[in-house]
Amino acid sequence: MPHVEVLPNSASVAAPGWTYVVDNGYDPSKIAINPKDRKRAATRPGGPRGENELSARQQIAIARRIAELERDNDPKQSIPVPGKSSVPKTQNARRIIQYQRQIKHWLDDEIAQLQQAPPPPPRAAGPGARTAAQPLRRASTMTGPPPTPSEATPGLVTPGIITPVLGNRPASDIDPLLSVDSSIPAPLRPAELEALLSAPPLSYAASHAAPPPSGGPPQRQFCDNCGYWGKIKCLKCGARICGLECKDAHEATRCLKWA
Amino acid sequence: MPPKGWKKASAAAPAKTLVLDNGAYTLKAGLVAASANPSYDDCHVLPNCIARSVRDRRTYVSSELYQCRDFGELAFRRPVEKGFIVNWEAEKAIWEHELLDETAGEGLRCNPKDTNLLLMEKPNCPKELQKNCDEIVFEQFEFRAYYRCVGPILNAYHPPIPPSLSSLPQECLLIIDTSYSDTTILPLYSGQLIQAAVRRLTVGGKLLTNYLKELASLRHYNMMEETYLLNEIKEAVSFVAPSAQQYTTDLERTWKGRLGDKRAIDSSIVVDYVLPDYEGSIHGYARPHDPVQSRMRRGLQPLQGPREDVLPLGNERFAVPELLFRPTDIGIQEAGIPGAIMESLSVLPEAMKAAMLTNIVVVGGNSLIPGFIERLESELRPLVPTEYLLNVSKAEDPIKHNWLGAARFASQPELLKEVLVSKAEYDERGSTWLAKKFSWGER
Repeated sequence: MPHVEVLPNSASVAAPGWTYVVDNGYDPSKIAINPKDRKRAATRPGGPRGENELSARQQIAIARRIAELERDNDPKQSIPVPGKSSVPKTQNARRIIQYQRQIKHWLDDEIAQLQQAPPPPPRAAGPGARTAAQPLRRASTMTGPPPTPSEATPGLVTPGIITPVLGNRPASDIDPLLSVDSSIPAPLRPAELEALLSAPPLSYAASHAAPPPSGGPPQRQFCDNCGYWGKIKCLKCGARICGLECKDAHEATRCLKWA
Repeated sequence: MPPKGWKKASAAAPAKTLVLDNGAYTLKAGLVAASANPSYDDCHVLPNCIARSVRDRRTYVSSELYQCRDFGELAFRRPVEKGFIVNWEAEKAIWEHELLDETAGEGLRCNPKDTNLLLMEKPNCPKELQKNCDEIVFEQFEFRAYYRCVGPILNAYHPPIPPSLSSLPQECLLIIDTSYSDTTILPLYSGQLIQAAVRRLTVGGKLLTNYLKELASLRHYNMMEETYLLNEIKEAVSFVAPSAQQYTTDLERTWKGRLGDKRAIDSSIVVDYVLPDYEGSIHGYARPHDPVQSRMRRGLQPLQGPREDVLPLGNERFAVPELLFRPTDIGIQEAGIPGAIMESLSVLPEAMKAAMLTNIVVVGGNSLIPGFIERLESELRPLVPTEYLLNVSKAEDPIKHNWLGAARFASQPELLKEVLVSKAEYDERGSTWLAKKFSWGER
């Protein structure tokens, strides 16, 4: 595939209506539901699918459904603004008011801009909280609780008190078993706090919550028709159904075999 | 030519601040005077949409929707998508209709030239959209002065419990804003947003309504055009199951049973929603499920007397809001709200994390679904180390809470003076400077 790169050009104008968009490759919500190729499945890099993996066709169907569920406006309907609208006061305002773009165009734009611009070099003063935050974001979110001391006292943390002052007591005064120091979190370091507060906002795409941890409970499956547990799979398309009655309804309406 | 001293007089006049929480579903607006003590009653909630009815061929702009008598097949145009103002043509029409023109309601109408605007936005707004917004505010509407910030931040200006006299923002506050467009988690430290820890879930009120619409259309009648009605039904009947175990039990109780082994439907959960016919009734209502009647209805409706259409709702009542806690149920690859909270907190130092957990406040319309807070608390507790306190509270009025926080901020002139940018300054320095100034203010 040829590599196309837009060279930075001082004369380039951000014209409304079109933009360079980075090709992110595969977006399952946008492509057609392909017929499945059973023949070549076994020779694919991952080998044949496992029992609980979804086929490409199912993934596309799910992605489409989610895109449909979170859509704001129906692009097919156009509702004109009633009455005579006042004239925009400046050229700039006219341009903005006449935009007919949807949110997805703006978000694509944002991604494209982030990829075109080189990432800002990490600032010398203190670790940038963003760079510090990124690896954390990838890591598992469900870190276990810190090791609890045998004599942990519940409710140690008083609301609003950030830097506990208990650390000043000489350690020799109290029985190490009764010591609460280990259950009190370390006080905030000002540099760390400064870095956190001065971090720039994340981009929209980067702010999404991570997928559930892989070690967690498996995804629950529901009947495609009535919403009860999906105990059995449709032989034709793999959707879950709860029983014979729902199987008939499923085949009559939603079975992907004929989609 | 204006008389002498005209300019001075208008500058000296007590400027009011228009506090505007421009949500995707409703806009929350109110005028706040300096040193006033605002309350929920000062907030006006207006639909942020232009609706078109194919039946009476009328177009309803924002509050005109309250006059609508037939919500059948009503199509909506919403200028705000995913929480951000995208379509300024429609938003301008709505603002003009509700805030500026003669059509504006009493107590809201203002002249932008002597009004400050405090506009609240969602976090992680694309910069281009922010720039468009700034330019429209100053160049089209010509507000006297303006400040734009992430709305939930201003919740830090609510008086803490127990109340204290200081006007300082609360130190550590974790806001969970579960709104129409999505659900966001925002840790605040001393009135500043910790940007790196903001997390967003795709699931919001819109997705829940659309999901219910899809389920009802699949199982009963085709209602794909009845967004308004399904939203009403969702608000009327849905509830959050108290725990995953209870969810399983409820699912059993609403199951119709196998072929040849039919079960009686448990009418303590299943309800019949009587659909409005838009002739005698505008709104429907829910009543307990009556199996005898529903069996009779399979036959003919009575020729005389009132006919009624009934939508039975079983597991839809709790399976729909369940998506807030288990988005994977429909294949959205995100952890639920409790998981996202822990993910957000994992960015923070341990001490701050502990303090955030003691002060969690839930705002936004989805928290009105019964059982939401209880479920959140019971799912969060096992994820939090045992020695930490956990305190989850719901805002008194979750829809207007962000607005009230902002109104309290706006009623303190010394706070407002620091952040406002006047039109003269904008004319002098331009929108790039303004965007930079506001993003620095956010730190």
